[in-house]
Amino acid sequence: MRKAFLFLNIALTFAPMSLLSLQHIVKQYGNYRASDDVSFEIPKGKIFGLLGPNGAGKTTLIRMITRILYPDSGNILFNGEQLSDKHTENIGYMPEERGLYKKMKVGEHLIYLGRLKGLSQTQAKENVNDWLKKFEIETWFNKNIEELSKGMSQKVQFIATVLHNPDLLILDEPFSGLDPINSKLIEEEIRDMSRKGKTIIFSTHRMEQVEEICDEIVLVNKGKKILEGGVKELKQRFKENKFQISFNGEIKNGLLNNLNVVEQRAGEVTVKYSEEHRGNELLKLFVEHGMEVSSFNELLPSINEIFIRQVEAN
Amino acid sequence: MKKILIIIQREYITRVKRKSFIITTLLAPLGFFALISGSVLISTFSQGRTDVAVIDDSGLFKDVPLPDADDQTVYFHKINGNVEELSSELPKAEKEKRKYQAILYIPANFNINNPNNPVISYRYVERPGMMKKQFISDRMNDAVAKLRMKLLNINEEVQQQMEKKFQLDYSSLDNQSEKKGYTEAAGIAGMVMGFAIYISLFFYGTMIMKGVMEEKTNRIVEVLTSSVKPFQLLMGKIIGVGAVGLTQFILWIVLMAVVNLVAGIIFGAAIHSHSSSMGSMQGGGLDADDMQLLMKNLSSLPFTQIALLFPLYFLGGFLLYGSLFAAVGAAMGEDGDQQSLMIPITVPIIISIFIAINVINNPDSSLGFWGSIIPFTSPVVMSALLPFRPVWWQIALSILLLIGGFVLTTYIAARIYRVGILMYGKKITLKEMGKWIFART
Repeated sequence: MRKAFLFLNIALTFAPMSLLSLQHIVKQYGNYRASDDVSFEIPKGKIFGLLGPNGAGKTTLIRMITRILYPDSGNILFNGEQLSDKHTENIGYMPEERGLYKKMKVGEHLIYLGRLKGLSQTQAKENVNDWLKKFEIETWFNKNIEELSKGMSQKVQFIATVLHNPDLLILDEPFSGLDPINSKLIEEEIRDMSRKGKTIIFSTHRMEQVEEICDEIVLVNKGKKILEGGVKELKQRFKENKFQISFNGEIKNGLLNNLNVVEQRAGEVTVKYSEEHRGNELLKLFVEHGMEVSSFNELLPSINEIFIRQVEAN
Repeated sequence: MKKILIIIQREYITRVKRKSFIITTLLAPLGFFALISGSVLISTFSQGRTDVAVIDDSGLFKDVPLPDADDQTVYFHKINGNVEELSSELPKAEKEKRKYQAILYIPANFNINNPNNPVISYRYVERPGMMKKQFISDRMNDAVAKLRMKLLNINEEVQQQMEKKFQLDYSSLDNQSEKKGYTEAAGIAGMVMGFAIYISLFFYGTMIMKGVMEEKTNRIVEVLTSSVKPFQLLMGKIIGVGAVGLTQFILWIVLMAVVNLVAGIIFGAAIHSHSSSMGSMQGGGLDADDMQLLMKNLSSLPFTQIALLFPLYFLGGFLLYGSLFAAVGAAMGEDGDQQSLMIPITVPIIISIFIAINVINNPDSSLGFWGSIIPFTSPVVMSALLPFRPVWWQIALSILLLIGGFVLTTYIAARIYRVGILMYGKKITLKEMGKWIFART
């Protein structure tokens, strides 16, 4: 019993916390370095945002993870093991530029892609039927791909990505071209997968989605990693100690004298506060001056602001 | 390997199920049928009957026979009449009621020793075709020759002896099975096989190229390469299309045999008279005896060797060029407008058919030897050469080099392919493709 416990302990100690670990990845095309010594960890079961402006090297990184390309130097570990071809069956990849064979039927196409990911014919068919049922599109099984609208084929592509039940999902701009209802549907699925312990790499330009969906992000620019961390943690890290105070009535005389006011409007003032004066003291000051405070918020930067600031600074 | 099989399966099934496949498979033998029946119909009906009025003012040809054509297209009628009168009458008569369509006029002062001055004239209302012209000229030449011999007092028996044709007996010293007329039979068989490979290289090569371009253009290739290696994708496509080609070939052979049988039953008699009339017209062409000889010789071709080696060259050539077509497809832009990239592939194929044509006439030439050895030309050239029984070491060397050749081209093509399929929005040059061979991925 004790022995078993010991083993469990050792197993837990050595079980990697991250599903994917990129270590000093370098990838060069001629004179251009698409990945320049990039390292980061993608924790298990998290939704991970891979962000960066166009041409930052996101696709190159994704292609190296999916083993379409190979790094010139550096290591990629999958679940603690050296990434190899056998792992591709455990990865689902939905590229930004995606397509399907026009002359095939939805059902046979999905079964084909499932089989290429290692599923048997029967298993693939079963999974396809389950997913079509889940999305309430069972009637599409015998539909020709060329009859599908853009949004419809996007759904089919999403199914193709998750069909083989991979532990790692890589979604590059999964919402582009989707209407709000279908976006919501896919978003729900992504969250559901995450709840089931799947790890998701999510690459997008739309920062409001990152804020809504991602747990952690890494920001790359010009082939280099320039930032990484949890979404909440980053917002804290890049906050500028700004507080927004809304109140009823007029501002009392002398109240703002010693404060660094960033913006002032009727019934609302934004103040940048110094190190020694934290939020509580600021609120206290307002209350002591007899102000009737209706709301008091710390202003945190949006991921979009952090993104723009960091890319510009870089 | 399992994944290659899955890819082969898809490539094969989606293509075979396509309407265009079914249509071309059915239409090609029908086209063949149309060609046979068309040519027979044209020769029997469109040539029509020409009645020629022969007016011999010289009186020299009174006893010289002018036989009518075997295929019932030309009839000679010796008449007494005035050539000028008839010449003005004929065009006036209604087409259906016209007795003669032409006049063959031999002037009174015709001189057998100088038949070009004055000349024998052929005046027509309906223009004679090439074949008829040839036939009429031949008949008149025969007649003049006969007349001349008559004037020289050479009797009929001697005449027949002089006209008797004989044939040289060609035979190979080291090969007892090569009988009379074997070379002709081997030439025909060689040409058919050479052309079959030549055409299928282009046809199925383009099919592979289009398939690769489709995957690149609709961007499915990125999803595919995240599941399988580009090499597996490439091999799956080449073998899949190859299987489609093989299926189509077998179906064609079966269908054509059926069509040939049906055509033979329907047009049998007509074909026979057609070919014999052609033979007699061209003088020295194929007559019925030659035809029989050809058939006999075709059946004495080295069938086992051909049956073993022809598919091997078909396969080798297909693999060698198929991968190159795929590489070009991968390098092509989305609009597929860079036809110039195909030149390095199409030129050697075209050269090989020219060598093959030459080889049929000179099977032992050094051009034929090198053409049958070099992997880029050997599939077409060696197929054309097979009926001539090349020596065993030539075949062995050729096959070894072909295997080496396709391993090399497949390797190079795979390296170009894996870079090309993920390259968008750039016009690719041959130089660039060369760089890809050495690029890392």
